[in-house]
Amino acid sequence: MYRRYLTALQRWTLGLDVWINRVYPSDLNPLYYTGGLTNLFLFVLVLSGIFIFFYYVPSLNGAHASVAYLTEQVPYGGLIRGIHRYSADAFIIAALLHLFRNWFTDRYLFARDSPWISGMFLLLFGGFVGVTGYILVWDERALVVFSELVRLMRSIPLVGERFAWVLQAGPGISDETMPRMLLLHVGPASALYVLLWWHYVRLRHPKVWPPATWVLTSLGIVTLLAAVVPAVSGTPAQPGVQPTTMWLDVFYLLPFWLAGYVPPFLIVAGIGLLFVAGFAIPYVNREDPHAMGIRHAGVAQVVDGNCTGCELCYYDCPYNAIVMVPSPYPGATRAAANRKLLAVVIDSRCVECGICIGACPFEALELPAFMESDLQRRVAEAVRA
Amino acid sequence: MSAAAAGAPRVVGFVCDWAVATAGLTDEAGRLHAHPSVVLIRVPCSGFIRPSWLEDALRAGADGVFVVGCPYGDCLNREGNYLMQERIEQLQRRLQRRKVEPERLTMLAHGLHDREAFLADVAGLLDALGRLRPPAPAAARPAAPARASAEEGGS
Ligand code: HEM
Ligand code: SF4
Ligand code: SF4
Repeated sequence: MYRRYLTALQRWTLGLDVWINRVYPSDLNPLYYTGGLTNLFLFVLVLSGIFIFFYYVPSLNGAHASVAYLTEQVPYGGLIRGIHRYSADAFIIAALLHLFRNWFTDRYLFARDSPWISGMFLLLFGGFVGVTGYILVWDERALVVFSELVRLMRSIPLVGERFAWVLQAGPGISDETMPRMLLLHVGPASALYVLLWWHYVRLRHPKVWPPATWVLTSLGIVTLLAAVVPAVSGTPAQPGVQPTTMWLDVFYLLPFWLAGYVPPFLIVAGIGLLFVAGFAIPYVNREDPHAMGIRHAGVAQVVDGNCTGCELCYYDCPYNAIVMVPSPYPGATRAAANRKLLAVVIDSRCVECGICIGACPFEALELPAFMESDLQRRVAEAVRA
Repeated sequence: MSAAAAGAPRVVGFVCDWAVATAGLTDEAGRLHAHPSVVLIRVPCSGFIRPSWLEDALRAGADGVFVVGCPYGDCLNREGNYLMQERIEQLQRRLQRRKVEPERLTMLAHGLHDREAFLADVAGLLDALGRLRPPAPAAARPAAPARASAEEGGS
């Protein structure tokens, strides 16, 4: 059932590409660079965030005023604030597109689970950073979001009270609260880069930046948006006073909007379930590849005696599944007799693509299910007929 | 087979499992219904192809070879099609020195649903191969035939 849906979604995803590729040359298809776009927006967020940091005052009385000063008095301050706001939206949109695309195109299965799991952590941290970002403005909306967040935390059994304490830096809103919010904004945001190291560690040459055209287009759109629709604050937050009117951001604040209708514990449980399901995606329905209709090529094997230690396979493996080790003994062939290194495939990282076979000029690698001799035989049959 | 294939250039194509879907386009042996002189061999990734296999296929008597990967940027294995594109370019340069025309080696990129574009490319490829000089018998190939110099001038 799940498989059937996924197959349909894959068909739509790739069908959409056929259309996009009619408009753009295929190596400019933006959907091929969702990871790079996410990273680009994160980079813009860091730069604009550092700028804002120079003006931000983390105190109950100072926060709102400092943001207002930044917006109105500092040259280009309003623009940079807008860029920060809209890149945050773009970051989440791009990250979700990236998630769905990798999901629908089977890029999370078997040996590929490491970027998926780190990706779920990135999403979790990224989402949290967004929420604390809204609170830092400390206007009416921030207060609502903050109180709801505390309420959600409190609804968690056993540890909830403690979480609420950590969030407020005390039993209730106090002078310590805003510095704590700033910490909870900047800290997890920095942690994103640690997680990104994990995200990339199994990928050789990750495409961290989209093509230049898309870098410029994305920057242009965000800047234009920030100039045309400036980011604004609501009225300053006054604890104890009911907000008058308020606008909720759909991406970040949906759960808070729901909070008006659903008991808080259900919301926390819902979010928790969503992430548990996300983490489980690479492992549910994990039948053996045959049953899933995937042709099983088998993990690449090094033909020990032939390997010359030339490292070509090591440079080409897209998943960093090959390591070069000091050769324990000389190779069998003439070319391999004086080798210094020997290639070793790490089974758990190998996605069975065979790219290393194409890279090796010395016939020292093979895919068990696609032996060179079979291939040669089929070629011979083809040209003979 | 021979009647249809006799005049047409014999071509071997390696097709990535994730690239264009060819179910229904070929018979059991991988022979294209539309162009019976073309035989497709499915492989796990375009980057799996070792360039020497392409060279061997030409030497064994194929008039042309091609490799089909996914659209550039969308390789399931991230880089297979770019790597293969580079390898084919290198091989074309190397073989050109031995008077083998670059047109005999082609890299194509077509996604799962790009059937029509794929078939159109194959037809174009056969056209181009038909216009080349007939291949010398395998044994005689290293001794460069007379027309090769004219072709070099053009490139
Ligand atoms: C801060 C957010 C994120 C950034 C900046 C980011 C960036 C990237 C980049 C640059 C790549 C390399 C693409 C390539 O070269 O092929 C990548 C790969 C990947 N990402 Fe993310 N990503 C993020 C979040 C996520 C999320 C939320 C998920 C899903 C849960 C995810 C899943 C993956 C997977 C599965 C791959 C491997 C793709 C492959 O094997 O071809 N990422 N990411
Ligand atoms: S088949 Fe080769 S290139 Fe592909 S992941 Fe395994 S070791 Fe790396
Ligand atoms: S490309 Fe082949 S010979 Fe070179 S290190 Fe890898 S396995 Fe050994």
